[in-house]
Amino acid sequence: MLLVTQPGKSNAMMATSALLGWRIPSDDDILINVGVCGAPESYPIAQTLLAHQIIDGSRRYYPDILYPHTFTETPLECVDLPADTPGNFPVDMESAGVFVAASKFFKLHRMAFLKIVSDHFRPENVTKEGVIELVGSRLGELDALAAAMYGTLVPARLFTIDEERRIEEWKELFTAAQGGRLDDALRYFRLRRPESPIPFPQVEIPASKRERSALLETFLAVLHA
Amino acid sequence: MKHSSPSCTPRLFSHLYIEKAVLDHPQTRRIIEKFDRSNIIVIGHYKEVFNRPSQSFAAQSHAKKLILAHKEGKFLHEGSPYSDGFGHRQFLYASSVMGCLYDCDYCYLQGLYPSANTVLFVNLEDAFAQLLPHLGHDTLVATSYDTDTLAIESLSGQTRQWLSFAERHPNLHLEIRTKSANFRSLRELVPNPRVTLAWTLSPQAIIERYEHATPSLESRLKAAKDAVEAGWKVRLCIDPVIHTEGFETLYTDLIDTIFASLDPESVHQLTLGSFRMSQNHLRSLKKLRRSDVAFYPYEVRDEMATYPQAIEQHILEVLLAKATLYIPMERIRTWQRQS
Repeated sequence: MLLVTQPGKSNAMMATSALLGWRIPSDDDILINVGVCGAPESYPIAQTLLAHQIIDGSRRYYPDILYPHTFTETPLECVDLPADTPGNFPVDMESAGVFVAASKFFKLHRMAFLKIVSDHFRPENVTKEGVIELVGSRLGELDALAAAMYGTLVPARLFTIDEERRIEEWKELFTAAQGGRLDDALRYFRLRRPESPIPFPQVEIPASKRERSALLETFLAVLHA
Repeated sequence: MKHSSPSCTPRLFSHLYIEKAVLDHPQTRRIIEKFDRSNIIVIGHYKEVFNRPSQSFAAQSHAKKLILAHKEGKFLHEGSPYSDGFGHRQFLYASSVMGCLYDCDYCYLQGLYPSANTVLFVNLEDAFAQLLPHLGHDTLVATSYDTDTLAIESLSGQTRQWLSFAERHPNLHLEIRTKSANFRSLRELVPNPRVTLAWTLSPQAIIERYEHATPSLESRLKAAKDAVEAGWKVRLCIDPVIHTEGFETLYTDLIDTIFASLDPESVHQLTLGSFRMSQNHLRSLKKLRRSDVAFYPYEVRDEMATYPQAIEQHILEVLLAKATLYIPMERIRTWQRQS
């Protein structure tokens, strides 16, 4: 999914919030904020930079870079206006806004901030066409970054959707406390035997509460065995 | 459960987050030199990084970062009721590192900290200053309580600093507990009879299943043997014992393996203890959903979760029966919940 924000922190924050509120990210989603930045002359034009620290006034944000990559890493200063005075770090105008909005939805290692050097603090030289060309020329690097980030995703789901549905049906038969014990026992079983199907009892559900409790104890004993 | 790990992981400590205030500390400069390929990120306070919301402990475990900081406040704390003070009048533990290089499923650090990264406090000299007033009488300090200091010795040098400090203070006893195989970093030092090097040992099957990124049983035993031969006082710890399939065979075989490798007479003490954890830490461990250890139906009493009494008793009986074939009961310490 591609989101094009308008320039500036507030625009970036609002656009990111709107997208992520409309389409809540799943555990398999990642977010890459790609754009251009002004940078000191030590960074050549068209170099791709990966931000490991975003500086927004007195605030600091830290995406988690848990994957190997070949980009140059750098702090990135997020400013309110196009920067025409040389500073110590590369500067952009959106990263902090994207970070603040996206960190409500994404773990820190599922976000990356990739910036291509467009100028050496001469924003008047940056054109829309130039930016499109710069970003377009880096699609291969974007793919590589996405692949590296996907490699860090830890499987979050212990049960299949069908298993989850059945577990919920079972839990409805019991009290909240009993349901909690069943949850723990199911996780214990699955983490010990990832390949085994859950041995749901193949019996008719008893009508009485007491008999259901006895059935639960039998089920728990099987899961803990 | 074997954790799924990323197909390709970055090198250890690929990023050094360094508090601006300690950039010029000699320890910091040494570490920067050692990790000259790492990205250096200057931060204001370690909590900016270590306590960030939305971290993934599980994902970070495969790509740990190092944070260098200045500790404000107390380095030393009272030893907890979950640990043995070995009869010393005062039992303290030092918290000069937060987080561990290793990644054990049963470790309370996962419940304690929001991050799998390691914070190294470089101002260890302040810990020594804080300890001095306690050294009028017999005091045990555990240096590896919130970490495995020997595992990062080549990076931190803290164990050597502790040993040097202990040499000058006759009431100070140290316990340096480890799973590492890194005895070589202490090899040329003169053993101090008030310092105990303690190795945590587990059956190899348990190491592979629950003690990720730790040295093998064979390597740990080799390190313990080297320490004994060099004249150090060595304690062996089969603690925590994980009650799992085949536990009797796994752990009795472990005791046989240990004493096939080490002369029982050369071992100062053996400690035995089953898994235990505060209920709060266990709750946090469950949230991570990483290991079956978190979801065992423990018995919780007085905020402590451990195996039901009958199982706990059985664990001790099985292990003691085997251990006493090699080592007299007086040299075996056991941890058991007070009923």
